[in-house]
Formats: sequence, C-alpha cells, structure tokens
Amino acid sequence: MFLIFKRLWQVNWAEQWQYRANLLMYLLYWLVSPIIYLAVWTSIAGVKGEVNGFTANDFVTYYMVLLICDQITSNIIIHTFAYKIQDGSLSGELVKPIHPMLTNALVNNIAFKMLTIMGLIPIWIILFFLFKPDFSGVTLSGVLLSIPAMVLGFVIGYLLSAAITSLAFWTTRVYSIHEFYFAIILLFSGQFVPLPLMPKVIQDIAQFLPFQLFMYYPIQLILGRLSAEQIIQGYIMAGVWLVISILFFNWVWREGVKRFSAVGA
Amino acid sequence: MSPTIHVQQLSKTYKVPEREGGFSAAVRGFFKRKYKEVKAVQRVDFKIEQGEIVGFLGPNGAGKTTTLKMLSGLLHPSNGNASVLGFTPWELKPDYLRSMTLVMGQRNRLSWDIPAADSFLLHQAIYRIPDNEYKQTYKELDELLELEPLMKKPVRNLSLGERMKCEIAAGLLHRPKVLFLDEPTIGLDITGQARIREFLREYNKRTGATILLTSHYMADVTALCERIIIIHHGQLKYDGGISDLSKKIAPFKLIGVMLAESNSHDLSKYGELVQNEEDWEKQYIQVKAEDVTRVTSRLLADLPIHDITIADPPIEDVIEQAFNS
Amino acid sequence: MQTLKLLSAFFKMNVQMSLAYRADTVVNILLNLMWLGWELLSLNIIFSNTETLGGWGLGELIALLGVFRLVNTLMIALIWPNTEKFNQSIRDGSMDYTILQPVNSMFLVTFSRITVWRFWDLILAVVLIVVGVNMSTATTTPLQILTFILLAITGMIIIYSLWIVLIALTFWFVKFDNNVTILQALLDAGRYPATVYPVWLRIIVTFIIPIAVATTIPLQALRGELEMTQILTFILVSIVSFFLASRIWRAGLKQYSGASS
Repeated sequence: MFLIFKRLWQVNWAEQWQYRANLLMYLLYWLVSPIIYLAVWTSIAGVKGEVNGFTANDFVTYYMVLLICDQITSNIIIHTFAYKIQDGSLSGELVKPIHPMLTNALVNNIAFKMLTIMGLIPIWIILFFLFKPDFSGVTLSGVLLSIPAMVLGFVIGYLLSAAITSLAFWTTRVYSIHEFYFAIILLFSGQFVPLPLMPKVIQDIAQFLPFQLFMYYPIQLILGRLSAEQIIQGYIMAGVWLVISILFFNWVWREGVKRFSAVGA
Repeated sequence: MSPTIHVQQLSKTYKVPEREGGFSAAVRGFFKRKYKEVKAVQRVDFKIEQGEIVGFLGPNGAGKTTTLKMLSGLLHPSNGNASVLGFTPWELKPDYLRSMTLVMGQRNRLSWDIPAADSFLLHQAIYRIPDNEYKQTYKELDELLELEPLMKKPVRNLSLGERMKCEIAAGLLHRPKVLFLDEPTIGLDITGQARIREFLREYNKRTGATILLTSHYMADVTALCERIIIIHHGQLKYDGGISDLSKKIAPFKLIGVMLAESNSHDLSKYGELVQNEEDWEKQYIQVKAEDVTRVTSRLLADLPIHDITIADPPIEDVIEQAFNS
Repeated sequence: MQTLKLLSAFFKMNVQMSLAYRADTVVNILLNLMWLGWELLSLNIIFSNTETLGGWGLGELIALLGVFRLVNTLMIALIWPNTEKFNQSIRDGSMDYTILQPVNSMFLVTFSRITVWRFWDLILAVVLIVVGVNMSTATTTPLQILTFILLAITGMIIIYSLWIVLIALTFWFVKFDNNVTILQALLDAGRYPATVYPVWLRIIVTFIIPIAVATTIPLQALRGELEMTQILTFILVSIVSFFLASRIWRAGLKQYSGASS
C-alpha cells in the first residue's frame, strides 16, 4: 500500500511540475480576493479603531493566516475528476484495483497543493513585509492544536467535494452545482470576513456546519483567539462531520459507479 | 490578357529559433537567439490561366502549403512576386479577399455548435453578398452537393464527408474566381472523394473559376487536372500536362507477363523486374518506351506466355521518380 | 451601417448557439442572481460594521457594484469567450480563415463570440447604478452624470485595449494561452473603491492592470471629485491606448504572416 502511494506521488508530482506556469497563474488569481478583503477590513478598522472587537492588526493576521489555511484545506478535485466521469475515461481507472478518488486523485491534489504552497511562500513573505502583521498572539500550543484541525478540514472538504464531483454520474451540470457549493463555503467558512462579523443567523448556522473547519476555526486556533470551550466544541463538530462525510461520500460514489456501469458509458 | 495567377521567383525562408535544452541555454537563448534558416520555397515560377484546374504536387514538406498560403495572402514571401487576379495577395485588400477562397481540408471554418445554415448567413454578412445573389449561389451549390438535408443539423453531428461538403460550400458562397484547395478530400472515403471531385469539375465548368489544388490522393489529380506542377524541397520540378509527365520524366512502359508454368523462368535479362502488389499472377518488367516492341516479341518467342499486357507505369511511381530526379 | 449588419449577424449566430444550450442558460442566470445576492449581502455586512468605506457610503458602493458589473459583463460576455476562441484558432490554425475574411480582423476577433444572455446583466447594472445614486446623500448634477458615463466608457476602452495587446502577444509567444488570466484575477479589485487599497495595490489596479480606471474613476466623476484636466487625461489615454492596441494587433498579424522577419 505504501509503495502504491509512493509511485502515485512520483507520477503526480512530475505531472504537476509540468504545469507549474499555469499553477503560478492560478495562485495569483486565487490570492487577489483575500488581499482585497484584507484591505477593505483594515481600512474600516483603521478609521474606527476596531470593528466588533477586531483591530486592524487582527484583520491583517487573520487574512495572512487564511492564505495558508485555505491552501492546505482546499482541493481541486472537481477540475481534475468530473470530466473523467463525463467523457467516460473513468472506466480505465475503475478496472484498477485501487479506489480512483481516494488514491490517484487524492495524491494528485496533494502534489498540486505542495507546489502551490511552494509558490506561495515567497509571495507570503513579500506580503508580510508589505502589511507588517503583528503575530505576537500566536502560541506554539495554538499552532499544534490547529494542525489536526486543518487535516480534518482537508479530509472533510475533500470527501464533500468528491461527493459533489461524483454527481457528474447523474448530471452534466455538476460545475454549476459546485459553483453553488462554493458560494455556501464563502458564506459559512469565514473566507470573506471572520465569522463574528457575519449576521447572527449565519454565525448560528455556521457553528453546526463543517465549513468553518476550512478557514475560520484553524485560523483562530493559530491566532489563539478561541476559548477552551470553543476549541472542544469545534473538534466535536469536526468528528461528527468526518463520520457524516465518509458515509455520504461512500453512498454517492457507490450509487454513482452502479449507474455508470449500468449505462455503460 | 495577363494570366490569372502569375508567380515569379517566389521564395519563402523561415527563421526557426534553435532551441537547446536546459535552463542556462534558455537564458542565453532569451538574449541572443540563434536561428536556423529553412528554405521552404525557392524561386518558384509559374503562370495559370483563367479556368484552369492545376494539381499542385509534392511530398510532405515540399512547400505546397507554404506556396498556397502566400498566394492566398496569409504569408508574406521573403523574396519574389506573385499576382492573383491583378492583386498582390499579401496586401490583403478586401476586394481580393472577396474574389478568392482558401479551403483547407484539415481546418474548420464552420462553428461546431450550430447548424451550417447559421454560419452561412454569417458568411453572407461578412462577404456582403446581396440576398438574391446569395439565394442563387446557394441553390446552385445545393444542386451540386445536396446540402439541404445537412443544413439544419449542428455541424458536430455531421459525418466527416458531410462536413467537408459544407466547408467547401461555405468557401464558395461569395462566388470566388480563384480557388486554393489544400487537401480538400483528406480523410474522406472513396465515394466521398469522388463526390467532391465531381463537384469541383462541374463547378469549374459552370463558373470558369481557376482552381489550384493539392492532394495526397493521386486519383483527385488524375481525374481533375490536365496540368500539374510538382515541387520538391521548395523547388519547381515539373510544370506541364499530366499525360506528358511519364514521357518526360519516366519514358518507361510496364510489361506484365503471365507464364503458362509459373516462375520457372528468369525474366530479369529482359528488363528490370518491378513489384506490383495488386497483381500477383503476373510478373512485371520495366523497359524503355522505345524498346517495348523488341522486348515483347523476344518474350513471345522465348517463353510459354499465357497472357501479356503493356501499360504506362502508375502515376504515383512516375511522380515519385520526378521527386527523386 | 455595414458594421451594424455584421454585428447583428454575429448576434443572431450567438443567439442560435445559446439556444442550443437553453437549460444551461437558465442555470447560469440563477447562479448569476445568487452572486448578486451575495454581493449585496457582503455590502450589507460591511455597512453594518461601518458607515463609510474609504469615504464612500452604501449608496455609492451599490453604484460602484453596478459599474463593476458593467465591466464584468464586458469580460464575461465578450473577452472570455473570444479569448477562448482566439487561443483555439491559433492552436488549430483556423486563425488563417479569420485573416482571409474581408473584414477588419480585430473586429472579427472581438465579436465572433458573444455570451448573449449576459446582456441582461447590463440591465441589472443600470438598476444598481440608478438605485445607488439615489441612495447616495450627495446631490449629482447632470454634468456629473454625463462625465460618469463618459469615463465608464473610456475605462472600458482602456481595458479592451489591454486585452487586445494581451492576445496579440500570442502571435509572438505561441504558448501564451494564459493571456487574460491576469486581467480576470485583478477584476475583483473593482468591487471596492481603489482608495481603500494600500498604495502598491492601487498603483497596480490603476496603471498596470487598470481595472480601477473603469470602476473607481467613473464613480469619482459622479461624485464630482475629478477636475476637468483629469477627465480630459482619461479620455486622451483611452484614445491613445486604443490606437496603440490596434497598432500592436497589426504588428502581431505581420509577425504571424512572416512579414516582419
């Protein structure tokens, strides 16, 4: 099993390396929104001193950490997998004795992330000097606590995206569904703004959804801004959603493959 | 009257950047590029009169497409001159573009997602074809190509042959006086090829259009063209009648012999033995045209002949020889 | 006249194309509405935490959102689909046919694909602008409205010119098929007034990838913040950039046909 992953890694790393120029463009594309949000909120906090308890520096540190967190917890499986279902080239992978989504596609996603993070590091350092964030609130225990949270965030996010990608077994409009899902993430993950600044009703719902694990929760862990109670609650929700997403993905995938082989695409 | 197409000393030399592998070579290449010169077409001369159908032949990379691109105006020559209908093609004057067409068998001009009829209407607007003239031309093209049943389907749902018909028709809606056709039958099956060929002959007869075409299929050329131009390595090798070609380049005949008792006699003393894959029963020898009578009578005298035939060598072989001469 | 006829022919053809994908069009309109909802919600979130953003009120930001959507429509209805078609035509060689048509090739490359249903975005944009201007406390004179419209147009001409330059570069660097990603990436910066951005970002979105010239600047004109010389400068810049772009396009065509080597 280990050997399989090692080989998969070699292949996928080499493949992603081929596309490094495109990857850099993707990175630039993806960077702009958080930087704009950062600029907007620091400008507001700069005028008023603080917004709902967040100072300008709180916003800078929030979005600077968000750049890293988002890169770690996000995935691109919709773009690398849905077309295989649509054009039928998945059949070649289904006959192999390994799960296509949980091996090859997964490793491919991780290789992609590694490369984008490599590209992100120099950009992050430049941004660090441009925005001069004060990271004095960061503690070692916060960073250590955030690592399992990010891993959980990635795993849950990956399974949910994989399940949505699998909807391609039924519909050609899977990209539109994904766009909708993307908007949901934007609303409940803390990507636009730290969750306490969102309307109360969104905050209440977000607590019970997995999306804050992608950004808000690990960011606040790193920055040491969560109470012990919030940390425990977050991990319990993560555990619950891990189980839900495993079950959900398994079910969608199984039914999808059944349909795929029945249609004989 | 001056010829429709007049080509003088036309030459095209491409500068191709030489690329070496490795990062440092790439950096060096960025500042000081090395170029390699590729002489695609060298000092080609020919004239084509109005109404002629001329076959333009040569192996891959001989410079056929480069020449057609220069004559249609896509490429600027490095040297020499060409005039088509009195225009210099690469000035791309709208009046010139409206009076000629370039059809490339491997390129699509029609949009895939919509029926050809809609693309045709767009062409009408682009080429400013008045409605009545458009209808007239369309009617004629429909008569020759049976377009009507294909017009309503999205182009992506057409077969290759059907699509080619529509592509050619789209290229002819503005009634061009000069047609440059680059591999118009490529990829088509035999009946498809024959249909396009028949159409081109009829179109030429009706409109008096001048046609210059390249093709891999010798049948296209032998069926359509009385005259052929051969280029090889960018140089003109032959320009003249297709029937004269074998006389000039390969004044040989093929004698096919079927012996009563097979293969027991060595025929090589009568002439050069050649392979013929289509006919295994006979053995073929190639002899000079003036020796045919003498060799034939010797064969008949010497051997127990069952059947004997005398024929011109296949045009493909002749052209092959022309390339190599 | 001839140009109008051609435009309408292109338009008809593209209507045909989008009719072939009717259901997708409905889904796309729904998604578009969803994003409008999100944009308004995000403005609501911002303004529930502050009264002004970079000195601008909620009404002005709604108007800015309208202008942003105008530019976005230009991007999505014309620039994106035509870039895709252009890159493909370079790859498969059908660019040859474009050049051989007796119509200005820059015109053909600009209008051969139109995402027709996106035009309804224009209506939304105008509604947003009107609502936003009415909500704004500042009074606007007809002259300010006129300069606003004028500068929105000049801004879009500048972006269009930049696009032409970016795709013309493909004639020299064939592998340059990321040509408009940079334009699209920075587009989002047009949602908010450039005055809230740090200096370096403001310089980028004003001078290098001039998104702000088509969004923030016209809004400033509407608020009467621009002087006559500034307005004239923007008009002049847009004329010069369009002129330069068409020169670069022609040079690119020459490169393609081997006339320059």
